[in-house]
Amino acid sequence: MIEYMLFSPILTSFLCFLTKTRRQVEIVSLSGSIATLVLGLALVADVYRNGMVVAWQNALFADAFGAFIVLVVSIVGFVASIYSMGYMGHELEHEIIDLVRLRMYYVLFHIFMFTMLLVGVTNNLGLWIAIEMTTLVSALLMILYSRKSSVEAAWKYMIICTVGITFALFGTILTYYGAVKILGENGDALNWTSLAAVADQLDPTIMKLAFIFILIGYGTKAGLAPMHTWLPDAHSEAPTPVSALLSGVLLNCAMYGIIRFYSIATKSTGAAFSSNLLIIFGLLSLGIAVPFIILQEDYKRLLAYSSVEHMGIVALGLGFGGVFGVFGAILHMFNHAMTKSLMFFGAGNILLKHETKEIDRVSGLVKSMPATGTMFVIGGLAITGSPPFSIFISEFTILAAGFSQGYIIPAVLFLLFIIMIFAGFFYHVSRIAFGSPGTGITAGEVSRWTLCSMAILLVFVLLLGFYIPPQFYDMIMKVVEVVR
Amino acid sequence: MSELILGSRMMQLIIALILVSTFLILGSTRLYSCVRAFGIQSFLLACVAGIVAFSTGKFDIYIVALLTLVIKAALIPYIFIYIIREIKVKREVELYVSVPSSIMIGGVLVVISYYLIRSINIMSELSSLSLSASMSLVSIGLFIMISRKKAIMQMLGILIMENGLFLGAISLTYGMPLLVELGIFFDVLIGVLIMGILVFRINRTFESIDTDMLKTLIG
Repeated sequence: MIEYMLFSPILTSFLCFLTKTRRQVEIVSLSGSIATLVLGLALVADVYRNGMVVAWQNALFADAFGAFIVLVVSIVGFVASIYSMGYMGHELEHEIIDLVRLRMYYVLFHIFMFTMLLVGVTNNLGLWIAIEMTTLVSALLMILYSRKSSVEAAWKYMIICTVGITFALFGTILTYYGAVKILGENGDALNWTSLAAVADQLDPTIMKLAFIFILIGYGTKAGLAPMHTWLPDAHSEAPTPVSALLSGVLLNCAMYGIIRFYSIATKSTGAAFSSNLLIIFGLLSLGIAVPFIILQEDYKRLLAYSSVEHMGIVALGLGFGGVFGVFGAILHMFNHAMTKSLMFFGAGNILLKHETKEIDRVSGLVKSMPATGTMFVIGGLAITGSPPFSIFISEFTILAAGFSQGYIIPAVLFLLFIIMIFAGFFYHVSRIAFGSPGTGITAGEVSRWTLCSMAILLVFVLLLGFYIPPQFYDMIMKVVEVVR
Repeated sequence: MSELILGSRMMQLIIALILVSTFLILGSTRLYSCVRAFGIQSFLLACVAGIVAFSTGKFDIYIVALLTLVIKAALIPYIFIYIIREIKVKREVELYVSVPSSIMIGGVLVVISYYLIRSINIMSELSSLSLSASMSLVSIGLFIMISRKKAIMQMLGILIMENGLFLGAISLTYGMPLLVELGIFFDVLIGVLIMGILVFRINRTFESIDTDMLKTLIG
């Protein structure tokens, strides 16, 4: 099961490499991502029914949490591949990229999908390898355009994330060192399943050190402040469908690494140590995002800083702990993935139409592109946490967890920051959306494909705000059990 | 057991030489000599792995030693030399921090690492010498990344850090399980290739590989 799911994007990528025309590559890519989605959902259903799936002599495995990551990756990946047809197709028509680049894009896109799926199903601390691979592939996707700014962003991304991930490797080595003492020297000492069983016997001093290195390492990749400096550059300079994947999914994958180690470390060091660290980093991310969001001039960077904020919220939820805190954090990961991808897709449509990323030079979106404009405004309301959209539910759960667990000051600060971010963010969204369109901007949408993918995501944003289906609720509760 | 291997005279000598090779990188102003020093460092690491493999008799570690020799001591330096030759850069390491101060800072970092490892005191049964050398490599690698202008030197800095971690892993636990170790080698190799591609791209778009140029995206 797992092997097939991993094989699907690899095969798709290979087939994309063999294609000759735009039409062929798009058909291959779309059918490949449908296959990946179906296999991913089948895996999720399997895990939901049977609890845990293993393959390849325990090297690959999926429990509820891994399946959750697979779910997010495959949904957003599928939607992004639909969006790519509209977006990259438009770039091709306007001769910004040629056919060779387009094919390269799809090849790398599916390898990127593969690496992210691999993060979710690796049964050991070798997770590190998968996360480093995501960096490598996405850096290549970033330099698809040979603009100066993209090259600069890709270099910063590559260097900062590789250094960060090197620290995570040190944390991994320390954890292995701790585990070897108990489990003996064999490959199993790195497996989640065996580690989770002996987590309470691990040496707390080593685990504390390991957790700090892991938090800094994967925190760099997850965009937690103050290691977030690469994030706005990378997310704003990548091709838009890739930005959506980077923001919506890849950050979650890195967060997944942190959460896995968190669940092992807390059993050894006690909850207070790791919780406090997560709360500090979470609040710092929220706090740093505030001025950059309020004073932002570039709408893609605006969205990128909003990702820093939301990863901060996930870290906070985890830090607050308790069933509600963790539940809120996991739910927030899902909601953020959907909403942020929706926003990036909207931003991509604006970029295609106006050919500028400056907020000042875009206005009257609702008039010039009614469908994109409406969805962009709804997305903007949702991402800032206003009711009745999905993010409101998860933010509220996290806030409630903060108060009920007795973290009064962090919870109050959290509330304060998200109110300021709401004001700043929505001010920019309204400048873009309302008013009259600039001169020379003709009315009309860019492409049907892009609207279609936005609409799919909008369903999640709206639905999960009103009603969480019982199956989905069960699934998240199972993830919470794995984490706690 | 581990004291026997890691504390032996041979090990001490090699670890000292690894530190010397790191200082060679800090002290030289020519790109080629930096790459050569890195090659020597990786070769010495392969020797460490070889000795550990010989004394524990584990087949896995022999493979790791061999891979270190092939990938880190031969292939990666070759890629570096290829890049330097192809992009025809001025073959000097341009510095933000002068050579004498670099070496001073390097020395301070080694002393700090040594005391840090002593004070943590969790690895008492292992040779603190090799662990502090590993910490020194990581911190000096970081220092090289921030104190040198050329993009190539940042690549080299990352690889020195990685070497440091490799030394740490092998002295703590005789290395990671083979599957993970192979994955890490794979990532390092692909990483170097992709960073190489990026360096070419930087050179083409900016007509220089000074990271000074990469300062436009802020705020």
